[in-house]
Amino acid sequence: MADTEDLAERLLGIAPDSPLAVLRTERASIRQHSEGAYRELVLPAEPGGVSLAERAALALRVALIERHEGLAAHFRALLQQHGDAALLAAAQHFPAPAGADRTALLLRYADMVAVQPECCGQEDIDALAAQGLSPQDIVAVTQLIAFVPYQTRLLAGLRALQEEASS
Amino acid sequence: MSHFTMETVGWEPRIPPVDAETATPQQLAALEACPPAQRRSTYFLTLANDPGSLGERGALFNAVMYAPRGLPRAERELATAAVSIVNGCIYCTSVHARRFAELTKEPEVMQRLLDEGFSTELSPRRRAIVEFSAKLTATPGELSGPDLKPLREAGLTDLEVLDLIHSIAMFANANRLMQSLGKSVPPPSE
Repeated sequence: MADTEDLAERLLGIAPDSPLAVLRTERASIRQHSEGAYRELVLPAEPGGVSLAERAALALRVALIERHEGLAAHFRALLQQHGDAALLAAAQHFPAPAGADRTALLLRYADMVAVQPECCGQEDIDALAAQGLSPQDIVAVTQLIAFVPYQTRLLAGLRALQEEASS
Repeated sequence: MSHFTMETVGWEPRIPPVDAETATPQQLAALEACPPAQRRSTYFLTLANDPGSLGERGALFNAVMYAPRGLPRAERELATAAVSIVNGCIYCTSVHARRFAELTKEPEVMQRLLDEGFSTELSPRRRAIVEFSAKLTATPGELSGPDLKPLREAGLTDLEVLDLIHSIAMFANANRLMQSLGKSVPPPSE
């Protein structure tokens, strides 16, 4: 076996010998870098100024906003492994808290980028910087929040292909 | 009037982009994974602040938009322009509308789409691509097998459908990044 199972295969139950798995081998580089980007954003070896628990919390929140139960369950389990119960509760609470603390700020930023990124302004980015996030951290957080909508639509499209094949 | 345009739209970042002259080896390596024409764009230099995610995401973007065979490039551009319209990203719409026009030599088709919206007259194949792009973008949770039927009736192969899904998904990401990390600067109006 050349490869380990990727997140899409795990969440959708794509069997290795199924037509969809075979089709995806024609786009091996997309499969590889979808998984690579996910790992780099959610499970990086060097998380920098944004902790692994915060990353899992942001991913969980966007999966909930996108109403993707499979992705949400995956990120929830990941956050539980990090063992931060307060963050787990906050990430799943809507609307996001109004406070000026770091967690509230990050959760509100996630809501904005996921749902209405056109409303983002310089003041929103400056507020993250004022909480000590470096330009690298701000890009990482934004990439992560914007990546879950990619995963959601990738999974929805692959599932439609599965359904089509089995009908 | 629609605010979407095929004219060149600027983009101003809200955090300092990396300076290509003083970039770290890791940042330069990440930029190398991105599409060659865009490696030194302000947008990619802004993303280079986090080289780990840019390297993977840039390689992903490159494969989604430029992988050989499968969905013709012009149709990937059509899909990503349609997604960008649904998401209200003026910058991304302008870039991908222009590429569609360059590849097809049919700027009038894209101009009509920008001016009149998705109800404008389109070939059956383009209509199927635009409508699927809009649906997967706006309501991914409602997508199911039968939504692929119009694409199949328009002649899309398995690989073409997969490429279309990748293109649409990629721009759920790109539009959000572009609108939050910076702002579109429209061309001066007449």
